[in-house]
Amino acid sequence: MSSYFITRANFEKFIVKLIQAKKKIYAPVSKKQSFIFDELTSFDDLRLDYDVTILPPKKYIFPPRQGLLTFDKQGHNSLIAPEDKILLGVHFYDLKAIDMLDNLFAANNSDANYLANRAATTIIGANIQKISKRAFWGSVGKDVRPHGYDGFIIKLDGGEGYVYECYTDKGSALLKSGDFSNASPAQIAASMDINERVLKQCPEKLNHSSKEIATKVRSTFKEKQLWEELADDCFSCGSCNTVCPTCYCFDVQDNWNVDQVSGRRERTWDACMTEDFAKISLGGGHEENFRESKAQRFRHRIMRKSTYLNETLGGPACVGCGRCSSACTADIADPAKAINRIMEL
Amino acid sequence: MSKPKVGFFDFASCEGCQIELTNFGDVAFLELINHIDIVEFREAMSEKAGKLDIAFIEGSFTRESDRKRLEEIRKRSAIVIAYGACAATGGINALKNHQHDYHECVYGKDAKAPHLASNIALPISAAIKVDYSVYGCPMSRDEFIRIVSHLLHDKQPIIPNHPVCMECKLNETICRFHDGDHCLGVVARAGCGAPCPKDGIPCEACRGFVSTPNVDSLVKTLINKGGMHSSRAWNKSRMFTNNQRGDVK
Repeated sequence: MSSYFITRANFEKFIVKLIQAKKKIYAPVSKKQSFIFDELTSFDDLRLDYDVTILPPKKYIFPPRQGLLTFDKQGHNSLIAPEDKILLGVHFYDLKAIDMLDNLFAANNSDANYLANRAATTIIGANIQKISKRAFWGSVGKDVRPHGYDGFIIKLDGGEGYVYECYTDKGSALLKSGDFSNASPAQIAASMDINERVLKQCPEKLNHSSKEIATKVRSTFKEKQLWEELADDCFSCGSCNTVCPTCYCFDVQDNWNVDQVSGRRERTWDACMTEDFAKISLGGGHEENFRESKAQRFRHRIMRKSTYLNETLGGPACVGCGRCSSACTADIADPAKAINRIMEL
Repeated sequence: MSKPKVGFFDFASCEGCQIELTNFGDVAFLELINHIDIVEFREAMSEKAGKLDIAFIEGSFTRESDRKRLEEIRKRSAIVIAYGACAATGGINALKNHQHDYHECVYGKDAKAPHLASNIALPISAAIKVDYSVYGCPMSRDEFIRIVSHLLHDKQPIIPNHPVCMECKLNETICRFHDGDHCLGVVARAGCGAPCPKDGIPCEACRGFVSTPNVDSLVKTLINKGGMHSSRAWNKSRMFTNNQRGDVK
């Protein structure tokens, strides 16, 4: 890793130059009182002071609706056509999440669609300047460090400029677009301090280690009453899944065009909290739902985020972004609240 | 299914779903006609057909005399599809189901006119077996095409059964409740793409409820987050989903 420094004035020029270049840039911008990742077309739209975005940046690598192939009488054509792009301003919790997806989509039957998009993406992180109301990233999976990103921007206190950490060739390739100098030891120390300090400022926190949580949560699997209580207000709407940066389930459907000969195979994000997620065909017109009650579904989600994937990922499949907590209209999805309650049993 | 014989029928409705069919535009509608054989369609032709492969029925079942006509259509149709909110759930017509004083208020001295006599408004499934429903007010054109396409290929169409909330999240729409408003999206069947909340308008659940709506949680949410008093919160879902509530008449 090498660290560089760029002044505030030159940072604007750097971003403008990136916007003018051929690669598309996706970055945090405001949407009413919230933020989203969107295509950056002007420096003034860039909001590195965002707290959290409605959807995580995974949407550019694993799109909510993705054409897999088109078909007609002759056969089928793959729709894998990755777009060369830069994801800019990704917070560390989302970097962790993308790192998890990289592992999950590469494992077993590797996912060619995901991997092609991922290879075409340069990921530049940014430090957290504002903390969202439901964040608990300071206390979840503390031992898990993100990998796989290309660079990281830290805004120094006082507004003199930014430290830019380069991790890969893709990250270094951006240096030519800006007036960077080597960061001084003091600037490097200041940038590290900024990232350390912010970890202690989350409004919510888990009170136990990932290992303690995994063991305890798993042991409550048969506590029917507990899970029914936790899920009582659940609408089974799947909002918590949909905004989650580590959820990766999808559904695949074929649809015909109106000519009834050609068509398209698409995959869309799926959500295990919805009623039909676990509905399967038994053949002969019969079906079964293996997670029929909302309590079973709620339990499954908390188990997936705190227990089931820990061995595969080296830590919990939750990064503490708090998106599910604020997306949940009934306000029951908050993993920190559910887990802390379970830990007190 | 090779070029099925298809009929369109209407009951108590505004016929807006028929209009929606023509809103496909020339290309899509004329293309679809290459694959189906429309043999009965009161709005467009005077011929009557015998056996049908698919009957599309619009409008709610609100007069006892409708039952006979519905049974007659069912008898000669292999597949019956309720299209539009009125046929699928009773739709907005079901607003009258919990009221008894509207006749005089709306019709004045004509209140007793015989053609105004009707029962509560019900989905056509209250009279006959329905194989598929195309939800929405008006019905979703895309869903209509998707269902017909699947049937032409002898496949089961998949109808969404999760709340509209998910589609708002996919659109990154600011939640109506976060904007100090209310919404029925938490219990409403998705599939529309959530255009109303996207435009800052609460979802009124025109596609009906999901199959297991959490109505208790809805009322709680409308009170706690939507700022409604309890009777309004309880009555809120009487617009399009009156027939799907626990207190249905």
